[in-house]
Amino acid sequence: MNSPLLTVSGLAKRYRRGGKTIAAVDDVSFAIEPGETLALAGPSGSGKSTIARLVLRLIEPDAGRIQFEGDDFLALSGSALRARRARLQMVFQDPLAAFNPRATVARLLDDPLRIHGIASRAERPRRIAALLERVGLNADLAPRAIHEISGGQRQRIAIARAIATNPSLIVLDEAVSALDVSVRGDILNLLLDLQAKERIAYLFISHDLGVVRAIAHRVVILDAGRIAESGDARAVIGAPQSAIGKALVMATPKLHRTTAS
Amino acid sequence: MTALLSIRDLSVAYRRDGREVAALKNINLDIASGERLAIIGESGSGKSTLALAIAGLLPASARIGGRIDWQMSEFRSPHQPSCLRKTPLSGRDIGFVFQDPSASLDPVMPIGKQIAEVARTHLGLGWPQAYARARTLLERVRLPDPGTALRTFPHQLSGGQKQRVAIAAAIAAGPKLLIADEATSALDTIVQAEIVSLIRQLVSEDGMTLLFVSHDIALAAELAERIAVFRHGELVEIGATAEIVNAPRHAYTRALLDAHIGLDAEPMLRRAGASA
Amino acid sequence: MSVVRRFLRTPEAIAGTIILAALFAMALSASLFFPGDPQAIAGPALLPPFQDWSLPLGTDRLGRDVLAELFHGARTSLAVGLAAAAAALVIGAIVGTLAGFAGGLVDEILMRTTDAFQTVPGFLLALAFVSVVGPSLSVVVMAIALGAWTGPARVARAEVLSIRERDYVAGARVIGMHPLEIAFREVLPNALPPVLALSSVIVAAAILTEAALSFLGLGDPNRVTWGGMIAEGRTVLRTAPFLSIIPGVTLVLTVLGVYLAGEGVVETTAVRRSLS
Repeated sequence: MNSPLLTVSGLAKRYRRGGKTIAAVDDVSFAIEPGETLALAGPSGSGKSTIARLVLRLIEPDAGRIQFEGDDFLALSGSALRARRARLQMVFQDPLAAFNPRATVARLLDDPLRIHGIASRAERPRRIAALLERVGLNADLAPRAIHEISGGQRQRIAIARAIATNPSLIVLDEAVSALDVSVRGDILNLLLDLQAKERIAYLFISHDLGVVRAIAHRVVILDAGRIAESGDARAVIGAPQSAIGKALVMATPKLHRTTAS
Repeated sequence: MTALLSIRDLSVAYRRDGREVAALKNINLDIASGERLAIIGESGSGKSTLALAIAGLLPASARIGGRIDWQMSEFRSPHQPSCLRKTPLSGRDIGFVFQDPSASLDPVMPIGKQIAEVARTHLGLGWPQAYARARTLLERVRLPDPGTALRTFPHQLSGGQKQRVAIAAAIAAGPKLLIADEATSALDTIVQAEIVSLIRQLVSEDGMTLLFVSHDIALAAELAERIAVFRHGELVEIGATAEIVNAPRHAYTRALLDAHIGLDAEPMLRRAGASA
Repeated sequence: MSVVRRFLRTPEAIAGTIILAALFAMALSASLFFPGDPQAIAGPALLPPFQDWSLPLGTDRLGRDVLAELFHGARTSLAVGLAAAAAALVIGAIVGTLAGFAGGLVDEILMRTTDAFQTVPGFLLALAFVSVVGPSLSVVVMAIALGAWTGPARVARAEVLSIRERDYVAGARVIGMHPLEIAFREVLPNALPPVLALSSVIVAAAILTEAALSFLGLGDPNRVTWGGMIAEGRTVLRTAPFLSIIPGVTLVLTVLGVYLAGEGVVETTAVRRSLS
């Protein structure tokens, strides 16, 4: 077995609030294999979004190591870090907040291609059209302003932007939580298709255990910044061992349908 | 079962950039006194507009057609003198809980005063009695240490605690109808379950009628006796919860039910991936 | 198109636009109507206004055409006012963006520099600068900008501090965008509206500062300025008050026009924001 794509060990992040120090993330370790979906689940304040931001180097940890594609990811800085970011992408919860409000679809997709020198200026419009097609959108969406298109389309644009640089890992921070249920299924299927075709690994952050169980290989359940339990997603959610795991499963709304679904 | 209110041919349109956008189209709906009715739908379905229309909280610029007829005799209660009003008063007869409690609470006023003020305005109590009532309400919404909590400010509370305070303020005047508009959507699963069970308990203790607006059909099914499904400003179908969940008549309702990903859903993941 | 129409609906905006349009017409047509040197002698000295229709506003102490001077003075006032305000806004926006976005030591250094500039009155700064470097149009522009950029810098920094926490800035970092590109392409354009709202105040102040400098004899000696005209007229204030009153009234009207138009712009954008 080859080495994991991402290894996080002993990760810690503390915040100071009103003289008190609060551990947002405390001694968290996990690994993600290429092409695998690892879900981080937990109540709000459990540290799952902080972990996402630490892994992406949007904030710096107080302790711990992050190994990405065999390199010490925390040792990178400046242009070396920016270049490596091509391989590690992110999709945010609210696709409207995640884009510059003045941007057009074309500009949002042009940025990663230009920054990482993936395509020449002349070639880029064709690449942008191809990206739109890969996420199931029409190429004539390119000149539209981001606020003119629907929420589901926006989240597809976010995914197109993330896959533009050919990443090996995408962090999905509550990426389907704000979507209407009728759109959510399509977006999840798109993510699964991309994963099957290109072996992209996902770090899937969600508070929704139903979705986690449906699409993740493994799950890490967090509570107050620490790992409460982890393992195969269906096994853990089917029979949680930790108190927080049990509470999350209990609290998930259940639809009791008697007819065949 | 008496109808608390009857909605007849209700249409609401908003003006946006000079054009009129229809938010609700010819809605006919009866809400029975004491029932728990869920309004579900996706974004743009008009479910929040309906909640605001019933509470009389639509913006002045909205164009409203049709009628909402109230059974005013239902609104008489021991501490409210019966009057000749034809519509109930929002805040006194109708309690409203919004999605974002931070937006509905005053950030610079202690929460005890905010709740007491509702009781004072609508029940004509003096400050000491109003504060005593606020304390009782904070106990009822199970805020820890209600005596101290009276003097705390909204920013000192968590999201779930703020929503409890918002609920306490909404029921402070003893309303007959409680409207919860996506009141648990901003909360995590565990807190959501707590708030839903709190709402259920308060509604049954006080004999309130509940209008529960949500995008989550599973959550609505756990709480409501009847479900109304809205789409694009129209009422798609309405029925008893078991009927809607198990024998939906409309294809859209079926699609919503099928789109729900519960803990018993078929896994979408084809397990041919990397890890074994 | 509709933005322009909405802008022209407010009475302030209409009044401001009329005044500014007249002013621009004066500045642009100065060489058309008065092709010669406005500082050349055109008739008898101290001719009162409305006496000779070839010199409608009369002549000054040296027999120069007051109307010609007024037209050419409009050029100087507008050019200096707009150029100085533009320079102040550009410097302020860049300094504010860098300070707010970089944070830490860069922020500390830039903001303490801003403090230092703000503690010295802008007019004194301009006075000192012009006296040392010598009066010419570009030096006057620089001098005025030097005292006016601190306001825009502070507003830009405050705006940038809130914008840099937004998701789309994190998104730009995730795709590997260079920090300078993030600051000036993603953050700055979105931080500009409140900074631009300052522009009318700054333009008006710049026109007044220019007039004051000219009044003290520190304007460009090769150009006619309203401040210079007022200074000229001061020596004969009792016998020929119109020589000071005419440019003085023009100055007041100009500043008023700039304020009113600025107010109209703020009102229009406020309406647009509340609509969206």
